[in-house]
Amino acid sequence: MAPLRPSARAASLLFRPIPHRYHSTSATTSVSASEVSHFSSLASSWWDPMGPSRVLHLMNPLRHDFIASCLFDAPSENTLIAGANPNPLHYLDVGCGGGIFAESLARTIPLPESKTETGVETVTRAASITAIDPTSTLIQIACDHARKDPKVSAHLDSGRFRYVNCTLEDVVAQTSTSTVSSLDGAGGELVQREDGFDIITLFEVIEHIDTNASISPLSFLTDCLRLLKPGGWLVGSTIARTWPSFLINQVIAEAPWPIGVVPKGTHEWRKFVNPDELKRWASEGLMRCSDLERGSVMRSGSEALNGMRWKCEGVVYFPGLGWKFLPGSESWGNYFWAIRKGV
Amino acid sequence: MRPIATSVLRPYVCPSCRSARTLSRRKFSSKPTSPAEIYDVVCVGGGPAGLALLAALRASPATSKLKVALVESQDLDKARSFKLDSQHFSNRVSSLTPSSVSFLQKIGAWNHLDVSRTQPYQGMEVWDGETGSKISFDWSSETSPFEDLQTVATMTENANLVHGLLSRIAASGDENLSIFSKATVSSIENGTASESGWPDLSAWPVLSIAPAGNPPQSTAMPSRIAARLLVGADGINSPVRRYADIATDGWDYQRHGIVATLSLADQVPPAFPTGTRTAYQRFLPSLGGPIALLPLPNNHATLVWSTTVENAAYLKSLSPKAFIAMVNAAFRLSMPDLQYMLRMERPSSTPDLNEEPHESELTWRLQHTPPVPQLPPMVTGVQENSVASFPLRFRHASSYISPRVALVGDAAHVIHPLAGQGLNLGLGDVASLSSTIEYAVNHGMDIGDILTLERYTADRWATNAKIGGTCDVLHKLYNVPGQGPVAWGRSLGFEIIDRLPFVKGFLMRNADS
Repeated sequence: MAPLRPSARAASLLFRPIPHRYHSTSATTSVSASEVSHFSSLASSWWDPMGPSRVLHLMNPLRHDFIASCLFDAPSENTLIAGANPNPLHYLDVGCGGGIFAESLARTIPLPESKTETGVETVTRAASITAIDPTSTLIQIACDHARKDPKVSAHLDSGRFRYVNCTLEDVVAQTSTSTVSSLDGAGGELVQREDGFDIITLFEVIEHIDTNASISPLSFLTDCLRLLKPGGWLVGSTIARTWPSFLINQVIAEAPWPIGVVPKGTHEWRKFVNPDELKRWASEGLMRCSDLERGSVMRSGSEALNGMRWKCEGVVYFPGLGWKFLPGSESWGNYFWAIRKGV
Repeated sequence: MRPIATSVLRPYVCPSCRSARTLSRRKFSSKPTSPAEIYDVVCVGGGPAGLALLAALRASPATSKLKVALVESQDLDKARSFKLDSQHFSNRVSSLTPSSVSFLQKIGAWNHLDVSRTQPYQGMEVWDGETGSKISFDWSSETSPFEDLQTVATMTENANLVHGLLSRIAASGDENLSIFSKATVSSIENGTASESGWPDLSAWPVLSIAPAGNPPQSTAMPSRIAARLLVGADGINSPVRRYADIATDGWDYQRHGIVATLSLADQVPPAFPTGTRTAYQRFLPSLGGPIALLPLPNNHATLVWSTTVENAAYLKSLSPKAFIAMVNAAFRLSMPDLQYMLRMERPSSTPDLNEEPHESELTWRLQHTPPVPQLPPMVTGVQENSVASFPLRFRHASSYISPRVALVGDAAHVIHPLAGQGLNLGLGDVASLSSTIEYAVNHGMDIGDILTLERYTADRWATNAKIGGTCDVLHKLYNVPGQGPVAWGRSLGFEIIDRLPFVKGFLMRNADS
């Protein structure tokens, strides 16, 4: 009966990689150095199925289930055209960490050589995935692990699956300037997609963002929504800031072995986000996004929210059984959330 | 555990030991080798379990796209051309529970079996030869009088099952499917990283296979195949289990099971309702185990008689007439009578008179034995060359999985045949493993990853341990001869179960799980 928080995947979302290749407009660091070093120390055991990230690995299939339920509720426009590619969706995984989700999603992308695979609709409908994280050690770990699987490795070679060591602001900056000249040197990797992404994922990320003068979860969500195609989904997961989640995540889950299942120092309870806050930020983010797109002095009102959809579903970790969806638990523990940008 | 270079499963291995393991493994992988052909699932062993796994994977839309291979040392063409007339039956017959049959229906294999050669039975009489206490298993307590009686189990020749599974697999097309028949696995090793560094197969099992037989046939067969998931369906001495370094625990029962195909006299009075058949099992504590007579079509039956090694040798050496007399005696006579008959002098030369000594002994002794109501029809004939025996053993692997390895069927567990559950457990494994693989494919999981496979072992290990353990306890209880407290206790248990329909229903549902 525990809304446990799996150890977070990428603490250092807004942390700038030191050898930076882009001219970027944002220059803000919002994640404390102690959190970065905490997750760096976990890096070597990221893919150990019995290691500190085990609870996180166990949660991964539910992410697929939740995305599938979003796609079922509101299918993307271009998946409805008869005779078109049945798997047309382009994914962006923000804060991919060691690649637990990104790699599993890449595995569902059909290989173009295989005739049996390409014509058939997959559960994720994925055509490509780009995974970004600002921490270079984590990107390295993710790449190394992906290379162990021949199919995923083939996707890396073909570019259908990409790991890029950059921040979310870099992607936004590329998209807004959209000139290749802004990249210095040939090694620069362009994350930008002309028309944005169909699905952007933000798993165990939002609660690791510091709030200060220039950066907040709101501005972060606005950036994500700007990269989203109309009709696309922004999907994430986090924990509610309630007294049961304090007890379970801070006291029990981080207790010494064998009671605790996540490493100490993984969570900071005051950064947890409640569903209503998230929904408010996301709605506000959609309006700001619409302002930026129109470039008008007039502020967008509720018309920016037309066609928006909001989904929220709680999950609970039962020791010995694993993660289960439990409707109603989103108001006091772990939950998945999703927002769909109106068409 | 086998050395694993990268996927570190056991957290208690300290980092320095890990690197030592890696180094020692690398020494073996330096020899020049041809690149391995990569498969998603490689199944070693083409028995009922291995073929059922392949058929199940081909039947599900999610897993039908996986590239699968099966390696079998026997010639599967012989199994493909299985053909017997309706009066002859193979002596290797299994009792399939309703859930096994519905699994075979679900994967579309049951229609490919010759159903006229299978025999469902609706009742089972089990009794204790020492004390006479008895129990009748059927679903009558849970069925209304207006319905047909439900099937307890369906007798199916293993050859018929294998034939049906092979034609089910053939019907799924040959894309992404390779069946290497008459092929032996000469070695299984961890792979290596290729020149460019990837794909890195250092944690993947790579099999070296070679055509068996002399002269080797000239079929296109790769010499090395790599497996994302290697499934060991390769029997009690599983090479896959040895490669994975999975320990197995168990003992030999010092018993043999005698099998034979028999023909029966007509049942008097005829069975009611018409067409229903019954299985019979009598425990013979002084003789080392139970004798069971399980129905086959056209008034035939298959025999499974678990007994001591000496008794088995004696029975196999008898003439057909004497063997038939002994089987009839074993269902009817008392323990001392049977022990006497199992020590009778065998006629050294051809039986000169038409009076066979075992037959006359049985006739005489039956006149002095009070009959019991649940007797099977008399056995009248034994099919030529169908008497055979096999040793009874108990084995249970400590785990069914290792990174990129899963065990199913006899490779994972071998149990006493007294409840006829061996093949059913194997098919249960296959049903569980195939749905585990399906879940993994639909959720982007690596099908060979330990996080995937642990779902399978969590599902099956305890179930198999429970049923195997129950059979073992029953074997031990029914090997205590005489009328002592153990015999009294087990008979009391029998009588209680027989009188409490809900307990019986619970037991039957458990046996069918």
